[in-house]
This record gives sequence, structure tokens and C-alpha cells, in this order.
Amino acid sequence: MQFFKELWRRLRWLASRSQFESELADELQFHIESRAEELEQSGVPRADAIARARREFGSRLKAAEDTSGAWRVHWLEDLFSDLRYAARALRRNPGFALTAIFCLALGIGANTTIFNITTSFLFSEPSCRDSASLISIREGGNSDSPIADYKVLRDAHIFEGMAGINIEREVNWRDGDQTRRFYAGLVTDDFFTTLGIPFRLGRGIAPGETNTAVLSYRVWRSVFAEDPAIVGRKLILEGQAYVVAGVLPPNHRSIAGFGLSPEVYLPASHDEDRVQFYARMPKGMNIAIARERMRSVFAEIDRIRPEDGWKRADQVRVTGVTGFDVLNQMMPGAVTAFFVMLLIVVGLVLLIACTNVASLLLARASSRSHELAIRLSLGASRRRIVRHLLAESLLISVLGTIAGLAINLACADLIRNLTLPVPAPLQLVVLPDWRLLWYSFAIVLVSALLCGLLPALRAVKRDVSQALKQEEHQIGRKWDVRGVLVAGQLAVSIVLLAVGFLFVHNLLRATAMNPGFDVQHTIWAYVRLVPDKYGDPGQARQISVISRALEQIRALPGVEAAAITRGVPLNSNCVIGTTLRTDISQTPVHTEYQCNNVGPDYFRTLAIPLLRGREFSANDGRNSQPVAIVNETFARDRFGGTNPVGHTIANDFANEKPKLIVGVVKDSKYFTLSEKQRLAVYEPYFAFDEPINLHFVIHASGPPAAYVKPITNLLGRLDLSAAVETRPMSAALGLALLPSQAGAVMLGSMGVLGLVLAAIGLYGILLYSVSRRIREIGLRVALGATPSDVLRVIFRQSLILVGSGVAAGLVLALFAMQPLALFLVPGLSTLDSRAFLGVVGVLVTVALLATVGPATRALRVDPMVALRYE
Amino acid sequence: MPEESPQLLPGTLYMLVLRTLAAGPLHGYAIARRIKQCSANVLDVEEGSLYPALNRMLLKGWLKAEWGTSDTNRKARFYRLTRDGQKQLAVEAGEFERLITAIQLVMKTA
Repeated sequence: MQFFKELWRRLRWLASRSQFESELADELQFHIESRAEELEQSGVPRADAIARARREFGSRLKAAEDTSGAWRVHWLEDLFSDLRYAARALRRNPGFALTAIFCLALGIGANTTIFNITTSFLFSEPSCRDSASLISIREGGNSDSPIADYKVLRDAHIFEGMAGINIEREVNWRDGDQTRRFYAGLVTDDFFTTLGIPFRLGRGIAPGETNTAVLSYRVWRSVFAEDPAIVGRKLILEGQAYVVAGVLPPNHRSIAGFGLSPEVYLPASHDEDRVQFYARMPKGMNIAIARERMRSVFAEIDRIRPEDGWKRADQVRVTGVTGFDVLNQMMPGAVTAFFVMLLIVVGLVLLIACTNVASLLLARASSRSHELAIRLSLGASRRRIVRHLLAESLLISVLGTIAGLAINLACADLIRNLTLPVPAPLQLVVLPDWRLLWYSFAIVLVSALLCGLLPALRAVKRDVSQALKQEEHQIGRKWDVRGVLVAGQLAVSIVLLAVGFLFVHNLLRATAMNPGFDVQHTIWAYVRLVPDKYGDPGQARQISVISRALEQIRALPGVEAAAITRGVPLNSNCVIGTTLRTDISQTPVHTEYQCNNVGPDYFRTLAIPLLRGREFSANDGRNSQPVAIVNETFARDRFGGTNPVGHTIANDFANEKPKLIVGVVKDSKYFTLSEKQRLAVYEPYFAFDEPINLHFVIHASGPPAAYVKPITNLLGRLDLSAAVETRPMSAALGLALLPSQAGAVMLGSMGVLGLVLAAIGLYGILLYSVSRRIREIGLRVALGATPSDVLRVIFRQSLILVGSGVAAGLVLALFAMQPLALFLVPGLSTLDSRAFLGVVGVLVTVALLATVGPATRALRVDPMVALRYE
Repeated sequence: MPEESPQLLPGTLYMLVLRTLAAGPLHGYAIARRIKQCSANVLDVEEGSLYPALNRMLLKGWLKAEWGTSDTNRKARFYRLTRDGQKQLAVEAGEFERLITAIQLVMKTA
């Protein structure tokens, strides 16, 4: 602390240095005059008094010097003078400066943007007061637990406060004669107060309130047009009136992390609602203590409610809500690995950019060798000169970082306004923060060293007398350091390009993949009912709504088939892992399968071929005989060669009736296009409880887009409180394609960026080498070399560089790309010879283009001028 | 001429200046004069070391400097003790006291 205070005072001194010096002179003058006056009063004549006072004082200059010395920060002043000098040098050579800064800005812009996305996705710091004291609690290892348990835990007063939220809810908002669906978070009434979440407008839901709601910034902006009078406005949500209590700020990050952020928050009203538990630990409590104290509470609940059949106290998981804690608990490894790979890739891009600047600096250093040699022979120490040259690269990298951060801000803005095509309230809040600041600071230092160290060290290694005698004229060696740098750069850009190519190829492959059902002629209509209106036993109202809907849809001209389903393939994931018994084998086997509940005509609607047996009928699921349809893979896996139709499957432990298999259908894709073929079991639609989210799939002969409007209108008339969303199936594959698209966009652009930077590097070095060889070329022309001879010289140099770079890059790519198979669709190999050929082709083409400029420069060399050069 | 004034003990200049300023703000010349007077003309603060020392103390935050008017009605730079300076004075005075007592003990008994 003291150090920084002193540094601050020193800096202030530095800023007002000239004023300080004149004031110090005044002060010393005052001192001497005061002494002289004193002497005068004691009787000394004035002239003598002044002379004596001066003598007594000694050297005024030395006193002033020593006094300033108390303030001086030598390293800082040297740095400033170095930077001033460097700035002058850059201004004198704007072409060089702009190229270097541009290269670094691209590299740093890409780097910080990916860093920003990674940290905000994987390590999002929730917008809560003191999030370090917050913990996430899972009783019995479950992510959600009943509110009844929440209340018991809350009333045990172990914690300073508790908060519960369920982010996987939806609500219907009735707006005039339209109904719209929101992603909702159901929160306990102490949620906002415990977490201490800041607001843009108004406040959070207060304890005891049951009819207030909170809006996200995004909804406030896009739906309510930033209405400043929104607080206090009444909204009809799920058929009930709620008053808007507040609006969250635009940079709100939810406690769930990973960009998950509900659009609307409502208080949880039912005891059977399930929420995720969070708690704020009081001072002095740690996670171990919290876990122990909760275990006894959960054991007590277990004792009171043995009928629940599971033990809460068995597995009490407690973790923090920030950083690695959340990551370890929630994220699949492949996603983390993807981000790690991205960071490596942008690291490579930055490396290429730094190499560019390094070789530019090298070129400059050798053309400045004369100047440096003079400075050395005049007595500048080598350390001083290295420091001076490093200051230049530091200045470049600071400017490059500033420009890079501007690019980063623009990208972050784009990302913030991006709506991801996923059925979840995903919203990345990518904002510059202290992490980005430190990261950029580190990048400045690293890139300054990467760019400047090699040129600086080489500059002072050169023999002074040699350099003073002549500039370097001889161009004998092709493999100087700059050549190696450019070849290395090309090698790295081959790797980047190959990776980019691979992911673009992956996207093409994924897009062309057959999902196993008809996408082109299918329409998906989603009707969300308000649960409270459909609470009657026997689901009579739902059945009537569904059958009326299907009846009217089928009556539309051009509609060939329509069916109801619980899950829409590639948009929802239902996996059951259980011990399954078939009637042809005695031993139950653990089986993991995709599940879905579908209505009659489902397979015909989606054009999934029925291989054996029949589809479900209208009565299936409502009478006593449970039935099921399985897919091909399931039939093969469980029944081998036997025709499964007529046989039964049953859960081994539950005492439910065995299900009779009535049909076998062809395999299709269930959750992702790239998944390995999975086992699947379909059950009748009405075999599951509470159909609230009604998904209709419709097969039409015409273009699906034409049916969107009539189907929406038709369904909207059935129940005015229901939210209806209709879209062509082809538009709903976003979720399935998102990983491939993200990979292709990010890595493809990195590949292009690497290529551009490497091309700039190649261009720069060739141009430089031509300018150094003007005398040689002039001599050749004078001795009778034709233009094609001259071109040959230039292109040969270019091709040697490109050839060695490509060779090294290919070897590198072969090894470096092996682990990427993890992210690809099955069947796509990382060793794709055609892709490699393409990459080499692109690189060589760009390299040749980069050679054209220097080559024409060489052609324009006039022997008369060149030989008189210098 | 008085006899050659003894060298200040190393490190005591800060303490003397701080003590001198404890009574109220003074300018540089007045500080030197006051130290001389109070020590019965024994301690003579060299001008060549007074001003660097004052500035080092400004840097450490023990003093503040302001321009004001001297008794002779001229513009002068006055130094004032800060809170940190007062603390520092207490610390240094305490340490010095113990040191002197210890030295005297040795001188008397050994």
C-alpha cells in the first residue's frame, strides 16, 4: 500500500516537474536571503552578508539535484524517454507501424474475444452480493428438490439466508388477444433478498409476496420497448394477475451460470414445486461445516417421510457458485475441451501475429544497424539498447492491444445481441471485466517480448566495427532468422486452416446428415396450456383439446397427416437408464434408451418407416394393456433375430405390467445429428401424466412455411390462454446443428485470420528482401538478365519459404489434429487427404498472390538507378 | 567561531525535523534555525541535506508543503506535519529514547 502511495506521489511529481524545479529554486533563494538578512541584522554589511550566506549554503545546484533525486523514479523516466523515442520512430515510419499494429490488433482482438466468451460461459460470476459466501446444495444428489424440504432447511436457520429457483419453467403471458410464452424462473420469495441481486428498475420479489414478477432486461427491451413505467404494471401470467416489481440490469448473470437466464421471474406458489437450493453461509462457516449441519436436518426429514423412498442425507452435495466449482459439477467435458481447444487456436493466431511484428522489427533493426552501431560506439550499453528496442515493441503491443480491445468490444456487442436457436433461455453476457483487463495486460507483455526480444538481442550482437564500415549488402544465406520465422508462421497457419477446414466440413456433413425422419415437409406446432386450467382428473379437457386440434389440422387442405408427441426429435432429450427384462430371456440387463410418448400416426407423419407390426391406436395407453413400439437397434440388441412384436419388456424392479411390443420402426436421430445410433422405446401419448406442453407434428404436401399462419390461428382459437408457436421443422434443427455451426464459424474464421496474417508476413518479408537486393537485381539486369529471370529469383525464394512451411505444417497438423475427433460427426476422419490438399492449395494460392507485389517491385528495378544506389 | 559542530547521529535528522514541526508549520530556513537554537547552537543542519530530507519526508507522506508568507513578508514554502508524520515522530522518539537510555546505562555501569 505504502509503495503505491509513494508511486502515486512520484508520478504527480513527474507530472508537475518543471513547476517543482522553479519552486525549489525559489525556496533555496529564500533560504539564502533569510540567512543574509539575519547576518545583516547582526551588523555585517549587505554585500558581505549575501556572499557569506551563499558560501555557507554551498552548491545550490547540488542541493537542487539531490532534492529532485529524492523524487526520481529512474526506471520509469527511462521507460518514458524510451517510449517517446519509440513513438517518434514509429511516426517516422507509419507504414511499418500501421502494419504491425494491424496484425497485433487482429490477433489480440480474436484472442480476447474468445477469452471473453470462454470466461463468461464457463466461469460466469453470478450477479450477486458477495458470491463467495454462496453455496449450491443438492440433497440426495438431486438438482431440484421439493419446496417442502426447502422450508424445513430454511427454518433450521443454519444459514444467513436461503434462495431457491427453478429455471426450467415456462409461463404464458396474455397480451390483449394474443398469448406468448416466456421462459420463467420460479423463485422462492427470499430469492432476491438473500442473493442481493442488483436491479435496473424497481426491486426484486419481496418475502411474503405471491403476485409480483421480475423481468429480464432483454424482455423489457424487446417486448415492452423499455417502457419506463413498467414497474407497477399488471401482467396476466398463467391466467393470473402479477404486478411487475422490477427489471434486471442488462449485465445480469444468473446464479445458474452458463448463460442460462430466465426471461421472467415469478414466486413459487405450490409446495410440490421443485427448486434448486442456494444458501448464504454466515461468516466463519465453510462448506464442510455446512454439509455436516445440513446432513442432520436431511436425516430428520428422511425420518419423518420414509414413504418417499429415497434418502436425502445419503448424498448431500455442496459446492460454491463460481469458478471451477460450477464447471466440475455441471459441464460435460467435451464442452470444456472445446473451449480449451479454441483458446489454443487463438493463441496460435496471436503467435502468428507476433511473428509478423517480430520479422518486421528484424527487418527494421537490420536497416537501422548503422544507427545502432553508432550509438553502441558512442558508449550506449547493450542493455540500454535492448531496453530501448523493447520499448518500441512494447509501444506497438500496447497500441495493438488497444485496437484489439476495440475489435473485442465490437464482437462482444454482436454476441450479446445474438439469439441462439436453442429451446432454453440462453443469453451470454459478454462484457469486459477485470479478468479481461488482466488478460490483456498479460498479452501486452507477452506479445511485446515475443515481438521484440529476438530482434533486440540480434541487433546488439552484431559486430560494431563491421556494421559501421558497411551496410549489409550480401544476400547469400536464404535461411536467416526471418526466413525461419515466416516458414514457421506458414506452418502454423496450415494447422489453423486445416482445423478450420475440418470444422467447416464437419458442418456440411452434419447438415447433410439424414435425421431418419422427414424434415422438408414437416411443420412443428407447440401449444403450451396453462396448467391450472387443466387440473381435472382423467385429462378429459386435454384429450378434448388435442383431438379437436388434430381434427381441425387434418382438415386443412394439403395436410396429409398430423400427430401429437411429447418430445420433438432433435429438440428434446429423454434418456432412461434402467434394468430391463424381456420375456425371451431370464436375465435382466441394464439398458439405456431414448424414450418418447407419441400419438397415433406419429411415424406416418414423420415418414419414419414402420418395419413390423402397427402404429399406436387411439385407445392405446388408456386401456389396461401397456404397449410399446421399439426401434430397429433396440430390437436387434434385445431380441437378436427374433421378431419382437408380440413379446414384452418390463422394468425389473418396478411392479408394473410388462409392455407388449406392437411395432418396430426404423432408426432415426433423437437428440443430435452426430449421435451414435441409440436404442429407443416409444410409448402411447396418454401413458404419461399431465400433458401441458402439446407438440404437434404435421406433414403437408406444400411448402411448410405456408401452413405456419393457418395452423397458428387455428390452434390459438382452441384455447385463448394457450401460447402457440409454429414453425417449419427445418427451422427447428438449430439446436442439433448448433455445436457444428459454432465450431465451423469460430474455427473457420480463425483459419482465415491465420491465413491473412501469414500472407501479410510473407508479403512483408519478400518486399523487404527485394528492397535489400535492389543492387543485386540491378546488376543482374545490367548483365543481361531478362524479366523472367528476375521473376524466377523472387518466386524461387517465395516457394522455398512456402514449401518448407507447408511441409512442416502438414506434419504438425497430422499430429495436432488427432484429438479433434472428439468434436466431429461419426465417420468424419481428421486425416482427410482431400481437405489437406485443399488447405495446401489455398495457402499456396495466397502465398503466390502475396509474392506478386514484391515481384513487380523487382521488375521495376532500373539498373542505372540501382547501381548508383547509395 | 564556535567549535566544529558534531555530526548528526545517522537517521536522527528526520526525527529532529518532525519534532520541530510538531509545534506548527515552518519554512525550511526556520527549521534549520530552530534546530540550531534549541540545541544551543550545537547541531547545525547542513542545507545540502535539509532539502533532500524534507522532500523524502514529503514523499513518505509525513509532511505536507504549502506556500505561505514569512515573518519578513516574503513568499516561503511552509512544511506541516501530517497524521502519518505525527505517528512517525512518536515511533522514532520512542526508539531513540530507548537507545539513549541503553547507551547511557552502558556508559555508567560498564
